[in-house]
Amino acid sequence: MKKLKIHSTSDLELDLASLLAVIMKLVPVLLLSSAFMQVMEIDTELPQAVTQAIDKQVQENKKNMILEVDATRKVTVTLDINGQKSTYSVPGIESQIDHAKLHSLLQQIKQKNPDIFKIDFAPDSKVTYKEVVSIMDEARRSRDEKVRFPVKNDKTGQQIMTDYMFPEIVFVNMMEG
Amino acid sequence: MSRRKRFALNVNQNSTFTLSIASMTDMFTLLLVFLLQNFATSSVEIKPQQNLALPTSNSYKNPILSVQISVSTDDIKVNDKWVARIQNRDIASADVDPQDTNFIQPLFKELQAIAADPNVKKEEKNQIMLQADQNLPYQTLRKVMYTASMAGFPQVKLVTVLGN
Repeated sequence: MKKLKIHSTSDLELDLASLLAVIMKLVPVLLLSSAFMQVMEIDTELPQAVTQAIDKQVQENKKNMILEVDATRKVTVTLDINGQKSTYSVPGIESQIDHAKLHSLLQQIKQKNPDIFKIDFAPDSKVTYKEVVSIMDEARRSRDEKVRFPVKNDKTGQQIMTDYMFPEIVFVNMMEG
Repeated sequence: MSRRKRFALNVNQNSTFTLSIASMTDMFTLLLVFLLQNFATSSVEIKPQQNLALPTSNSYKNPILSVQISVSTDDIKVNDKWVARIQNRDIASADVDPQDTNFIQPLFKELQAIAADPNVKKEEKNQIMLQADQNLPYQTLRKVMYTASMAGFPQVKLVTVLGN
């Protein structure tokens, strides 16, 4: 019986030259069009139910929330519900905003008042742009995945859960001198 | 026998030299995957400005076409055109209206010219995309936003870098 003879030393060599040529052409194209810094903008585009709830709040104008930041980075939240005012404050830590406490406070306010979506924001003149953006980040969405807020869609009657807390932020002291 | 032939190396003419490019292909494949991940998908081109460090935020919305105002620690530019100076992290006094200290005259003129320009797209006309240095005080930004709203640009989009 004849046995097949296989050369154990022979290698199958795949010709990668053409593949490399394609990659070499793609790399410069992608290098030129790549965005190494991802620039974003603070959005105002929201789910339909949230947009409807914001419009409703603006039309009714019965609930108002003002968020002020002073020069010592103390954040004061004033809640005005049908003329009844309540104030909460988060003191700054060594001239820095206490983000964790602020986020927790805003979550608590949102849980008690799920129909409020708009904040009137009034930072002090000395507060930096970086701090303004960080406060907006704390207020816009819940960071905790377990904490969600109910929003009722007026058209369908369905209730959805959203992580949006106060996505509508208006700079109210823009006209001040 | 010529001198060249005498000292020539004895090279086997039948043997072929094969370069192993497998590892090089591996490297380029990795590079290709990385570049594909970072491929720019936004339709708006934002040029980084000198002396301008954008703040980070958790927003992940791509910018849309609008008038670009950049406020660095040195100057204010509208669509890359220089309009006003920044001194000590505030608007230079020469560029501010003495009657209304929030009003930046050259910025207002430039924005009004854009608003009146028939070549500028309609969707670009009522909103601005504000790029500002993260260490500038709110006082400076307020003046820019105030002037922009007076010039007919009430919607302000804040440009940030994707962060934590």
